[in-house]
Amino acid sequence: MKRRRELFVGFLLILPALIVLGALYVYPLILSVYTSFTVGEKYGLANYAKAFDIYWRDIVYSVLISFVTTVVTLFASVVVSGYLRFRNWKFLELMYKLPLFIPFLIVGHAMRVFLAPHGTLNNLLTRILRIEELPGLSRSWIGLVWAFVWIMTPYATLIVLGAFRSLDSAYIEAAQNVGASKWKIIIDVLIPMCRPSIMVAFILTFVRTISSLTIPIMVGPASPNMITVNMMFRVNYFNDWGTANALGVISYLIVMVFAIYYLKFMAAERGGIKA
Amino acid sequence: MSVRRFSILKLTLKVVLVFIILMLVVGPFVGIAIWSFARVWYWPSPIPQELTLRYWSEVFRQGRVLDSLILSLKIALLTVGFSIAIAIPAAYAFARYRLPAERILLFLFLMPQAFPQLPVFINLARIFGKMGLRGNMWGIVMAHTMASLVFSLWIITATFKSIPLELEQAAQNLGASRWRVFWTITFPLGIPGVIAGAIHVFLWSMGEFNAAFFIGAPFIQTAPVLMYTASAGYNMQIASVIAIVLMIPSLLFMFVIERFLKAEYIAGIGG
Repeated sequence: MKRRRELFVGFLLILPALIVLGALYVYPLILSVYTSFTVGEKYGLANYAKAFDIYWRDIVYSVLISFVTTVVTLFASVVVSGYLRFRNWKFLELMYKLPLFIPFLIVGHAMRVFLAPHGTLNNLLTRILRIEELPGLSRSWIGLVWAFVWIMTPYATLIVLGAFRSLDSAYIEAAQNVGASKWKIIIDVLIPMCRPSIMVAFILTFVRTISSLTIPIMVGPASPNMITVNMMFRVNYFNDWGTANALGVISYLIVMVFAIYYLKFMAAERGGIKA
Repeated sequence: MSVRRFSILKLTLKVVLVFIILMLVVGPFVGIAIWSFARVWYWPSPIPQELTLRYWSEVFRQGRVLDSLILSLKIALLTVGFSIAIAIPAAYAFARYRLPAERILLFLFLMPQAFPQLPVFINLARIFGKMGLRGNMWGIVMAHTMASLVFSLWIITATFKSIPLELEQAAQNLGASRWRVFWTITFPLGIPGVIAGAIHVFLWSMGEFNAAFFIGAPFIQTAPVLMYTASAGYNMQIASVIAIVLMIPSLLFMFVIERFLKAEYIAGIGG
């Protein structure tokens, strides 16, 4: 009886949150899947056929950009975390955290100015290298990846460094005693032992990159586009909700495996804290 | 002698490294900071030919820049109120109660961070359109409350969990009700986490674009939406001024809340 009561009170406490999530998240989510299968009054796969027909190149492009971004971000965050695990450098600590809470849109605008053909970066580089002109990186895939890496690295580093720091120093000292270099310790000890956290950093970077709209509209090339930009165009210029939602569902499917891994990891971790 | 030369080399390397890191991290903001004061700026001059304070004055003068900032501020404050008020009881339940279908609930409340949110906002805009909530401030507040709820909830849950259970049990043994225990012990001890969550929600809402764009535009423009419109129309000065105004609180509060945040919980957001 007491257990029953506790379950009931607990349920009442989360009820407001559950209602908000149900009405404003789950319902639109279901609607997006439903709409993607409807054309006019009929059901079918026409929206998917259209989405693949027009945007197959953009779908591949989005996956590739997200993948490259994720790999570069993880590399950068492992280097920064590895350094900070062994040495205390306040400057680097501050620098990697600086971009943490800056809105994506603002980063997009700042990067657009920074990476433009006559932008801040080229202004500086042409003076240092004493050359006339450099090509601009904004509106190219390199600029897009650059901007993504810039905003993703702080989060990835926060996760990876957290894992590195929580690892018992005894393992590292043992490796040092047998003469392993710092690089070797990072590759052979730290990375394998922190694999779950690195996996979470990988997944979150990938999902956030492929679902970002603001960065590609600010710094991405006009063509090919990320699929999020295509969704926006479909809705804003063509009022074509069917194809937009088909692209949305395709983006769900792309991240599905990762999302399930993340959910399982987080549920297990939270269960651990609770007990 | 050789030791000394070695350390000079090391110092030079460090200076170069500091310079490169500064260029990579701080560099992007130098550009927009200069643009916000520029009246005339042609290549290849490293700085603008003519400077002006005109664009900055728009932040303080009646007009669309100030209007958009006030609108964003209103939306952010309302969002913080709703999001935190709903998150506190739910967080307490996740931290202290046994819940029915707990695993499913956990999955549900983590899901918005694991899947792309853009399709949800687009469809929400469509639903709101039918209800007459499109182009309405409250539509954006509702969308922001939902999206921020999932991270404010986990920040506050983690805080409640870090409070030792013994303190609550001691009070309960002395005959205090659960309600009283919460308000006299758990909540006061959890206030730092609640404040961190509130600041995070506030910062996120101030800079949010996707929901504000699809639900609000073109009828009402929050500061980020106006910034986007200005930047897309090559009005670099207005865009840069708004960008800097929106960035200042993010940088100021970063140091206050960073230690309360677990990256795994907050990283699912963005735009």
